[in-house]
Amino acid sequence: MTETQGAQTPLLKIEDLSVAFRAGKEYLTAVDQANLTIYPGQTIAIVGESGSGKSTMAHAVIDLLPGSGQVTGGQILFEGTDIAKTGRDQILALRGSSIGLVPQDPMSNLNPLWKVGRQIKEALVANDVAHGADADRRVVELLEEAGLPDAERRARQYPHEFSGGMRQRALIAMGLAARPKLLIADEPTSALDVTVQKQILDHLDTLTDSLGVAVMLITHDLGLAAERADHLVVMYRGRVVESGPALEILQDPQHPYTQRLVSKAPSIASQRLSSVKARAEIRAQAVEHAAEVAAEVAGSGEEFGEGSNDILVVENLTKVFQLRGSKPWEKTDFTAVDDVSFGLQRGTTTAIVGESGSGKSTVARMVLDLLPITSGRVLFDGVDIKDLGSKKLQLRFRRQMQPVFQNPYASLDPLYSIYQSIEEPLRTHDVGTKKERETKVRDLLDKVSLPTTVMSRYPGELSGGQRQRVAIARALALDPEVVICDEAVSALDVLVQAQILELLNDLQAELGLSYLFITHDLAVVRQIADNVLVMQEGKVVEQASVNEVFDNPREAYTRKLLDAIPGGSIPLASS
Amino acid sequence: MWWYVVKRLLQTIPVFLGATLIIFFLLKLRPGDPILNLAGNKPVSQEVRDALAAQYHLDDPLLLQWVHFVKNAVTLDFGNTFAGQPVFELIQQTFPVTVVLALMALAFDAILGIGLGTIAGLRRNGWFDSSMLVVSLILLSIPIFVVGFVMQLVFGVKLGWTTPTVGGDWNVGKLILPAIVLAIANFAYTLRLCRTSVAENLTADHVRTARAKGLPEGQVVVKHVLRNSLVPVITYIGINLGSLMAGAIITETIFNIPGVGNAAYQAIIRGETSTVVAIVTFMVMVYVFMSLIVDLLYAVLDPRIRYA
Amino acid sequence: MPEPREGQERFVAPIDETPLRAIDAVDVDAVPENQWKEAWKRLRVSPLFWLAAAIITFIGVMIFFPTLFTSADPTRGSLDDSFAPARDGHPFGFTRQGYDLWARTVYGARASVAVGVLTAIFTALLGMITGAIAGYYGGIVDTLISRISDIFFSIPLLLACIVVISVINNTWPNRGFWGSVLVVVVALALFAWPQITRQMRGAVLEVKNLEFVDAATAIGATKMTNLRRHIVPNSLAPVIVATTITLGIFIVAESSLSFLGLGLPQNVVSWGNDLSDAQNQVRSGQHLQVMYLPAIALGMTVLGFILLGEAVREALDPKARKK
Repeated sequence: MTETQGAQTPLLKIEDLSVAFRAGKEYLTAVDQANLTIYPGQTIAIVGESGSGKSTMAHAVIDLLPGSGQVTGGQILFEGTDIAKTGRDQILALRGSSIGLVPQDPMSNLNPLWKVGRQIKEALVANDVAHGADADRRVVELLEEAGLPDAERRARQYPHEFSGGMRQRALIAMGLAARPKLLIADEPTSALDVTVQKQILDHLDTLTDSLGVAVMLITHDLGLAAERADHLVVMYRGRVVESGPALEILQDPQHPYTQRLVSKAPSIASQRLSSVKARAEIRAQAVEHAAEVAAEVAGSGEEFGEGSNDILVVENLTKVFQLRGSKPWEKTDFTAVDDVSFGLQRGTTTAIVGESGSGKSTVARMVLDLLPITSGRVLFDGVDIKDLGSKKLQLRFRRQMQPVFQNPYASLDPLYSIYQSIEEPLRTHDVGTKKERETKVRDLLDKVSLPTTVMSRYPGELSGGQRQRVAIARALALDPEVVICDEAVSALDVLVQAQILELLNDLQAELGLSYLFITHDLAVVRQIADNVLVMQEGKVVEQASVNEVFDNPREAYTRKLLDAIPGGSIPLASS
Repeated sequence: MWWYVVKRLLQTIPVFLGATLIIFFLLKLRPGDPILNLAGNKPVSQEVRDALAAQYHLDDPLLLQWVHFVKNAVTLDFGNTFAGQPVFELIQQTFPVTVVLALMALAFDAILGIGLGTIAGLRRNGWFDSSMLVVSLILLSIPIFVVGFVMQLVFGVKLGWTTPTVGGDWNVGKLILPAIVLAIANFAYTLRLCRTSVAENLTADHVRTARAKGLPEGQVVVKHVLRNSLVPVITYIGINLGSLMAGAIITETIFNIPGVGNAAYQAIIRGETSTVVAIVTFMVMVYVFMSLIVDLLYAVLDPRIRYA
Repeated sequence: MPEPREGQERFVAPIDETPLRAIDAVDVDAVPENQWKEAWKRLRVSPLFWLAAAIITFIGVMIFFPTLFTSADPTRGSLDDSFAPARDGHPFGFTRQGYDLWARTVYGARASVAVGVLTAIFTALLGMITGAIAGYYGGIVDTLISRISDIFFSIPLLLACIVVISVINNTWPNRGFWGSVLVVVVALALFAWPQITRQMRGAVLEVKNLEFVDAATAIGATKMTNLRRHIVPNSLAPVIVATTITLGIFIVAESSLSFLGLGLPQNVVSWGNDLSDAQNQVRSGQHLQVMYLPAIALGMTVLGFILLGEAVREALDPKARKK
């Protein structure tokens, strides 16, 4: 085996490749002297965060850079020929038939006005694989091959009638249609649910193995990369910082950046005992501080609530939406949340985990009183939130429970300065004088590790992670007891995610906060939660402590979710 | 799909009723003796009064009068002009030339607007694009009757390429210049809309995927860029019909074309408000009908609308 | 584990060539700016904007200080001077009725621009209020407002104004300057507001689902407070663009109406009226300056506002930035 391996020539060899974008008068380097080798039939993975240049490099291979981008140095040798320097026609001939692309976002990458089957047929016809009725048959075969059920009917439908997973399968069928030798898969499953992701990637693996297609898998998830590929290339700010056999890199990372990734990436970190221990410590501190707060609340007459340990109790919560059917007078009932019950202890974190459509965000919105409840009760510190008659009571309730939302780009008013955003809750509740409020804002910024100069800035100038920190500062402005994090870290890069999780943990320990943490990422849960609710299609499937769920999952669905954590199965050298 | 059609049809009805209500309301606002207005401000005898009152249901409550108004409009009974001619007959005589004029203007608008707009969009920020921007902004600024005058002067009088006025015996050739004038302001906007649409679609993700498949650039542009860009443009052109009808009044006046617009203008000058209102009501009906067709066309072009 | 193949051996980049940055650090030195400041920066360098500003300033001066441009009285003239050629103090000669052509052009700016600006203000106010309420409160209110706006939208602007003004002409024949302006403004605004409503409603629909609105609700803000503090300010951009563009359209509309004899009355000095008078000259091909001068003045003014609208649109629209 080793001899035949050594005798093979590389299918694609990228040598010292540099790519730059023109922005006004300047050139911004996106890829800086990158090197990469792929052999026929092999799967390699390129790992990096956003801005690392991984997608740019992939697009450069088939000359698909946007207008302002160009290759400024190096070679791209495909089967020996430098395709960075060949003419338009040669690249055209290569596209589709020798090198295929499975792009990232399934919705925007399919033309919404053409039928799906027709778009795949285009690939066949353009590469001279089949024409006419022959091509139509081939399209159905390709869709079946990609794992799409009921392929013949689906081929005649439009993209908006497909689910996300189905669209991705269609894109895979399109990429493989002309049987290329190399398939570039650009984050092919990032937009999908974890279980769907696993299905599709498994399928892709089998398919490419049987067809002998080499795969260049681009991903931000180190665990996923190590699981699916033998050879890893880690990129950081345009440069290749480390590359080599996947297991070696994971077990013994040498470059500081790779070390960072390995130690912080949730899917891998969740395996470690060290993160379990760290969480236990946080919890102990948090519970202590929370008990102090509870005693205060119980003692004073003014604060909202009783000061009990069960700060949040949800009983038989149900939400039914009325949807319009295809005919105007038809109304169908859609049960988004079905009889959900759970409790949150002071100073602890309860996570609600589920895929899209599980109802987890709907639960959060009902608890926050942003969405009317169809039936069931939500008790905050012993008070039923439906019983909040007067405006004064409502305001007091609001003070005790605050949200942090998912999309950092939409959670701050773009016209409000950072100071104004954080001050708004103080202003609404008429807290303190202007001077006192300013002091409080500075204090909050300090708590979330942001320099106070940020106060006069606007959201547009901050990164996603920084905006989330501002959102957290705003949530803490009124000294709440409970913070509801609705997918608060899901939209962030891996390392930034880890940073924010650390911040949330530290704040919890310091202030005795209680968290309700909504997420689709089971791996993150281990680092931040004590109890877990697993939801599927509106119902609670399993409910237990985090350790139990991870070590002894009882339900099949929970096991499925655990299995699907990318990189979950990789043995790590140290723990 | 069918539900979309029915839904649109149902939506048209309140719009039409609402429009007629407004027009009827305006008509009723006029002070003075309605009988005198109907009779052309000439003194009338009591018998004629009674006859007219009966004919126009003037003694009925206002709501009932409106119902009659709507009924008449739908059955195309618009009453008579001061000269005694049934207004509908007048419309029948004058409508054909206005239709031809409007269609020619629409064709000019569509062909040139889409053609030039596409080129500008494909070569965004190039010299062609910039010059088209300048041209379209200038065309948008000049009132239509000024354009009409200038064109009439230059091409009709000075150069003599075409007759400056059209007159009673009209043919397609004579209508070319007025059609161009009518289309000019709309054409400028169509061009800009098309250009923006094309430029946006050029950088769309699905266009990049199309290229990745191995499609030659020409096919990518036609099948993926243009096809997607045309949807908003075509719907806009359809909606244009409204401004075309309004513009027709002015163009027909300048070029002396015996169309519906001209008839309306003559009625305005003579103070025949009821005739003006009748003609305008008719035009509104045509417009509402046309926008219904355009919406249905939109559903054909964009499958997402059908299944919404 | 099999031996790595050629080109795939273990590689670690030298740390001094690939230094690590702190994760997600804040750039302390950058200057703060928000959407409006950024837009102003873009506007400042836009040639369209400066051209528009120049034209509008020029017209503005003409309106407020007409005596800087001419000392003649546009309403005084005698038929003896009909089409008289240019002479001292009268650079462009005289109109058919013997008025100083240049003076009429200078003074004509007032009526036309007044109509345009007032109509734009009314339309914007009406459109913003209805659009915000329809978009934010939704449900029955939205359906009602949308249907009503459809009805008004379906009647073509010019036609509607023709009907309205014809009718009012019978009711209120001697209106005077401000009365006439009012009539034209109301007639135009009455049928043009749906356009602004649509823009506003669309923007509000987008903004109201953004999470910072939910965050404000979770703090305890009422719907009205949210509307005022967060939603309306973030929805203004498309409305501003639409209003500046329609301003130009309204000025044209007034002149078209005057051309048909339905705009401002004959005794008011306006470009529309002058152009209407000039009709006959075109057919004869003589004394064309009575048409050219007001036409150029009108065209330039409208161009100024349309250019302004374009410049503002490009400044506010992040997507339209040129690469």
